[in-house]
Amino acid sequence: MTDDIILKFANAEILINDTAYNKLSVQKNSLELADSLLDDLLRNQRDVFIVTEDILDRYLQDQGQVSNYGSDADINSIVNNIIVSENPSKAIKPPQSKLMPNVPFDFQIVKDASKKSYTSGEIKDFSAYFNSRFQKIKGLLSKKGELKESYPIKDLVNMNDNVRIIGMVNDIRTTKNNHKIMELEDETGYTNVLIHNDNQKLFESSDKIVRDEVIGINGIKKGNLVIASELIQPGVPRIEDKEMDFSAVFISDVHIGSSTFLEDAFKRFVNWINGDFGDEEKREVANDVRYLVIAGDLVDGIGVYPNQEKELTIKDIYGQYEEAARLLGDIEDVKIIIAPGNHDACRLAEPQPAIPESYAGDLYKLKNAEFVSNPSVVSLEGINTLIYHGRSFDDLVMTVNGMSHERTDLVMKELLEKRHLAPIYGERTPLASEFEDHLVIEDVPDIFHTGHVHINAYRRYKGIHMINSGTFQSQTEFQKIYNIVPTCAEVPVLNRGTMKIFKFN
Amino acid sequence: MGYFENLEEETRKLYDIAKEARLKGHDIELEPEIPLAKDLAERVEGLVGPVGVAKRIKELEKDVSREEVAFQIAREIVTTPDEEGVEDSIEVKEQKSDQATRTALAILTEGVVAAPLEGISQIRIKKNFDDGNYLAVYFAGPIRSAGGTAAALAVLIGDYIRISLGLDVFKPTDIEVERYVEEVELYESEVTNLQYSPKPEETRLAIKNIPVEVTGEPTDKIEVSNRDLERVETNNIRGGALLAMAEGVIQKAPKVMKYASKLNIDGWNWLEKFSKAPDSKSDDGDSGKVDDKYMRDIIGGRPVLSYPKAKGGFRLRYGRSRNTGLAAMGVHPSTMEIVEFLAVGTQMKIERPGKGNCVVPCDTIEGPIVKLKNGSVVKVESEAQARKIKNQVEEILFIGDMLIAFGEFLRNNHVLLPAGWCEEWWVQTIEKSPAYSEDEALQEGVDLKTLETEKITAERAFELSKRYNVPLHPSYTYFYHDATKEDLNELIEWMKSGSTVDLTTDNGLVKKSFSLEMDPGKRILEILGVPHLVEEGKILVDHEDAYALLHTLREPLDLSEDTKTLEAVNKVSEVEIMAKAPTYIGGRVGRPEKSKERMMKPAPHSLFPIGTNGGSRRNIIDAAKKGSINVDIGRCKCTECGINSIQAICPVCGARTVPAGSGRKNVNLSNLLKKAFENVGIRKMDEVKGVQGMISEEKFPEPLEKGILRAKNGVYTFKDATIRHDSTDLPLTHFIPSEVGVTHEKLLEMGYTHDAYGAALENDEQVVELKIQDVVISDNCAEYLIRVSHFIDDLLEDFYGLERFYKVEKKEDLISHLIVGLAPHTSAGVLGRVVGFTRALCCYAHPYFHSAKRRNCDSDEDSVMLLMDALLNFSKVYLPSTRGGKMDAPLVLSSRIDPEEIDDESHNIDVMPRLPKELYEKTLEFAKPSDVLDLVDNVKKRIGTDDQYHGLMFSHNTSSIHSGPTQCLYKRLPTMKEKVEGQITLAERLRAVDQKGVVEGVLTSHFLPDMAGNLRAFSRQKVRCTKCGKKYRRMPLSGECTCGSNLILSISKGSVMKYLEISNELSKRYPIDPYLVQRIGLLESGINSLFESDKSKQSSLDVFL
Repeated sequence: MTDDIILKFANAEILINDTAYNKLSVQKNSLELADSLLDDLLRNQRDVFIVTEDILDRYLQDQGQVSNYGSDADINSIVNNIIVSENPSKAIKPPQSKLMPNVPFDFQIVKDASKKSYTSGEIKDFSAYFNSRFQKIKGLLSKKGELKESYPIKDLVNMNDNVRIIGMVNDIRTTKNNHKIMELEDETGYTNVLIHNDNQKLFESSDKIVRDEVIGINGIKKGNLVIASELIQPGVPRIEDKEMDFSAVFISDVHIGSSTFLEDAFKRFVNWINGDFGDEEKREVANDVRYLVIAGDLVDGIGVYPNQEKELTIKDIYGQYEEAARLLGDIEDVKIIIAPGNHDACRLAEPQPAIPESYAGDLYKLKNAEFVSNPSVVSLEGINTLIYHGRSFDDLVMTVNGMSHERTDLVMKELLEKRHLAPIYGERTPLASEFEDHLVIEDVPDIFHTGHVHINAYRRYKGIHMINSGTFQSQTEFQKIYNIVPTCAEVPVLNRGTMKIFKFN
Repeated sequence: MGYFENLEEETRKLYDIAKEARLKGHDIELEPEIPLAKDLAERVEGLVGPVGVAKRIKELEKDVSREEVAFQIAREIVTTPDEEGVEDSIEVKEQKSDQATRTALAILTEGVVAAPLEGISQIRIKKNFDDGNYLAVYFAGPIRSAGGTAAALAVLIGDYIRISLGLDVFKPTDIEVERYVEEVELYESEVTNLQYSPKPEETRLAIKNIPVEVTGEPTDKIEVSNRDLERVETNNIRGGALLAMAEGVIQKAPKVMKYASKLNIDGWNWLEKFSKAPDSKSDDGDSGKVDDKYMRDIIGGRPVLSYPKAKGGFRLRYGRSRNTGLAAMGVHPSTMEIVEFLAVGTQMKIERPGKGNCVVPCDTIEGPIVKLKNGSVVKVESEAQARKIKNQVEEILFIGDMLIAFGEFLRNNHVLLPAGWCEEWWVQTIEKSPAYSEDEALQEGVDLKTLETEKITAERAFELSKRYNVPLHPSYTYFYHDATKEDLNELIEWMKSGSTVDLTTDNGLVKKSFSLEMDPGKRILEILGVPHLVEEGKILVDHEDAYALLHTLREPLDLSEDTKTLEAVNKVSEVEIMAKAPTYIGGRVGRPEKSKERMMKPAPHSLFPIGTNGGSRRNIIDAAKKGSINVDIGRCKCTECGINSIQAICPVCGARTVPAGSGRKNVNLSNLLKKAFENVGIRKMDEVKGVQGMISEEKFPEPLEKGILRAKNGVYTFKDATIRHDSTDLPLTHFIPSEVGVTHEKLLEMGYTHDAYGAALENDEQVVELKIQDVVISDNCAEYLIRVSHFIDDLLEDFYGLERFYKVEKKEDLISHLIVGLAPHTSAGVLGRVVGFTRALCCYAHPYFHSAKRRNCDSDEDSVMLLMDALLNFSKVYLPSTRGGKMDAPLVLSSRIDPEEIDDESHNIDVMPRLPKELYEKTLEFAKPSDVLDLVDNVKKRIGTDDQYHGLMFSHNTSSIHSGPTQCLYKRLPTMKEKVEGQITLAERLRAVDQKGVVEGVLTSHFLPDMAGNLRAFSRQKVRCTKCGKKYRRMPLSGECTCGSNLILSISKGSVMKYLEISNELSKRYPIDPYLVQRIGLLESGINSLFESDKSKQSSLDVFL
């Protein structure tokens, strides 16, 4: 491990003195800490050449609650128990007005796939869809230095020596001798790429490659194989920190209508947003809230799985949205952005258009509600937020070793690196064969918000806030069987750039 | 000469001819490839070996049980070293363990199923992490065919071998244990449900304690997360291993423990935890519980005929007809006619005693009672009457009897349920009455023999009851228990207003009738099942029925007492009234009956590979037009001149060739075909279909001549080069010569001598007991076999240069020819002989015959082939090299059925001419079937004696084994819409069915999941090439197949939408649950969103803007 830390610093061309090194190496998650420290240094203090104990100390202090957490210990450090006392002050306060009640919202829908479904389910649509994915991500890859001049696969026939290609992964398998062979495809043909297990770093990096993502390869052509020397994902660059003078709240998987929907907790949450719940400090944060983003599964839906009706208190899809409208209707002065999930009254195939007005009439009547597709990108006062429900997590967790539903931050990071929200075709995530692939992450967002797994996750990755917002549904029968422990009614709040989690349970 | 000797001699004759043909050298082997096996021991040797084991099995069999033989043989195989005194190497030990396991398993599975060949992939000796050696048994998917017990015993055999070899136990690591836990969960969520799904704790307990490693090859393309374990070769699910553990060792824990203790194998006591697993459903004595498992999925077009225990459903009647048993049950042919969705051999899913059955006609039980559109209520007593009134039926008040053999309850270990009150019981109450003596009775004109079937007047019925102090005759016992006491009082009151009138019937006779004014009380008559006519606004009850009613319901019932209706009736009745239908049984229609030639898709005439050269029809003639084609095909090298060819005889020098691997090769097909045509003397044909590629190891092709002759005769080959015809299996123990189209003269030739009652066979109408290997094939099977026989004769004459053998012209000529019966999942054919024909779509054969194939008669189907076809054309060389390739192939032929060596399901067949009165009485006490065995005669009691072959009587005759419709309505209606329409119309008519429930059921369990599943699948689907058939997991970026052809979707829009219209219609027409309506709506909008472009919607909007 020590070598790794030194290596990291060496790669970043920054020196670290002995005392700082010793201190860093005994920290928990020292490797991750080293990463984030380096990120921080590279971003903000380019003039540092030697990391001293002072610099390290200051950094560790600054970290505080906005840490790059991933482990349980870290997540707890930022969880704020909002229920401060058994008897919250009975004194009825008039609803506190928000800090900027009359300032108009600077809200924009940047990308949305609603009412843009042009597929008619013909075979040509499937062709168009994958070509759109390929071209979009190829465009991103082509901008990279390593892939400036790549060749169409069909031209490989006449080549030997060094080659650069961009292709969509068709298949990836392990050979008897534990090498990997990847079949890559572009519009001109197919080729097999060998990833030799001698090249350990490369071999490990190939672990996370999945079918149907688009990658670049640097390698050597030998016979009918390309022997890879470098795997290049489109990746994301580190982004600038943006000034944020308001707060945004992120929720998902509310599951209104289910018998396991935590109605009381949700009401407390709504009261808090309105400034009527929690201690002074929490109310202060609430005063700051301008946006509430809901990343799918607002209601439990009907017929989503067999015998669902037995677990519903509202067995009526219209009734569920009416109830949602009633609950959300109490929220004032906050813009509510609603995207669908796999439980909503939408087609299942992604991209899912916004929840239709025909099903959610009452919600549409709310002045402050905005309806977007899944996925979509919205701008909250200039902060670009990518909203995606997260169905594809199921596929990635099944496919990639080491990924789990508990650690969606790892999955989200990988999706960002792949620049695609649901790369794997043909498994659990149904994909609509639209002419354009709306699931490509064309622009790097400031916030990446997901849900679906009912377990909170947060991590700052290359400056991007990756948030998975848990649930308002208590453990279901299904989750009990599979021993999935949801994080219920724990709401992530981005308070002027700082992540906080408030509990309402 | 005895029956078996006769069959064997005839068989030998066919072998001789086949040998002569094979000696001509056109086939890869010089003799028929199906070894003949007289008994289990020979089958085991033929199926898995080793050579000489049959003799040893027979020796051991004399002294010890079959199970002990199996284990003993296994020990002997592994402990006999190759060289005396020298220990075998690990490799040799592995190889011997492998042989031992297969042989022992084959003995335990009667040498029939393919499991010993295909269910175990290998046995290995591996190392524990503490360096000790242990035994690992590798299971494959087809272990399923062995059944849970055999799978469990395979593990136990493994342990026995382990002990015999002195190996250590398997010591799994924690992660290896967790791997099993994960696999069980994954298997159930991604593949299919296990019959027994062990909890994680149970899996851990099992794996930690089973002394050998239960592992296996990957069966499904699903990966686990506990991967890359050192000792587990695959990261995929090991389905075979899971079956062996869960459905085997755990589910059959009591059996495993029993064997372990019997054979003194230590280390299995931990299974006690499982053996107490409550088998609650079969054990509780009370029938009050509703068992609606069969209702859980209601399928479109397969109507529910009765809700569980619903009044008016199937009445339980005990007994066996000559065509029931082994899960086949009798219903009256008029029931079949009236409901239309039942035909001979149609499967039903039933409430109890088992899960399913096949229905067969039996006309000595009660038919339905129906209400016609004019209000009249009619007991339907004949098929002809049923056909006549079918279109006037408004309501089916009572669907009729279901004749269920005692053996069915025994087999399912289900408590006996109260029997319906019937003539055969009633007559025994008289016989056993203290007031009865035969002499006196005869003097009084009471003859018990005829009394049982005779129609008697109501007055006489009451007289007899009073005279002998017995309950009232069943004909005059109505369904009182289905009405309330208030209802009956209302009826009594209403009947006071009635009067007797004379009624002139259609044929001019004057009959007394009881006339009533129309009244709501009519419904009570309907519920009681009292027939009546409605004429000119008056209700006319037959005089006899009126008499019975008035003498039963003599005064109003006492409402104040807390009694059941029937008790109250008995308080006022002149004589005792029994419960007419104490047990109603629910059921729904399952799979339709079937009898059809087997055709692969596409169906080849010849196993000759032509790639894509013959177009999508795989036409060899078309391919030959290209002259030479390049295909992957087996090579043969001449033993004399060394020239390569694809034939068993060198085309250059005429010497034998030997296989020399396979590979792509240019084949001058045009030349080859021309020669083949010449060889068989045919000038030209338009179509001879081949295959795209061979799936066998050697890829050795069939001689083209065979294909040409098959095409000429319009028959198709199966993967193993035999020609098959598949039918639903039905049992038959007795037949009437005229009914199956055979003459008594022919029967005499075939060794039949007497009828079932011991009289000499001298006309075509006698009831004859079926010999156990004789079969009655369907007419359409006969037609196909005629064509097959023509093919065989052509083949013998034109290809092998021998005499024609069958010379069949009409189907009667097929009688007495030998056939082979073969079931899927098995690898041993059973020799049979054609004795007659049925117009029903099924194959009627002796229960032993079906059991020998390991089939029962709850809608299993399997194949027959002509013996000569199998002998001439079957070759192992054609069998697929993939797992499961040896299933459904005749690897051995059992020439003789020994009832002791067949599936013991058939040992439960009842053989009583009449069920004793005591048994009927026991049913009222919910007795356990195993506790009343002393009252019963069945096959089990005759095993090992000569009586096992004959004298198996039936209690209920049927006048024809193929009366009733031959095709159920499901098959006659062309579209799903019409089928569902028919299903719902029927539901509306059936009193025992709730129509709304059926509509909702069809939507919930068929249409909605189908649409949702297809909609989901649509957005994840594969694409396929129209020309070469290559499949792509995802649409290629180039938009076309590598062969340059167009691609098409594998799931069409049509399949997604197919039930949408009908679902919408149903939701509009019936007041179904709004929840379902909404689900349909959601699916529809999901479908539209995927198939309708917003562009077109927008442009239409633009017009308005």
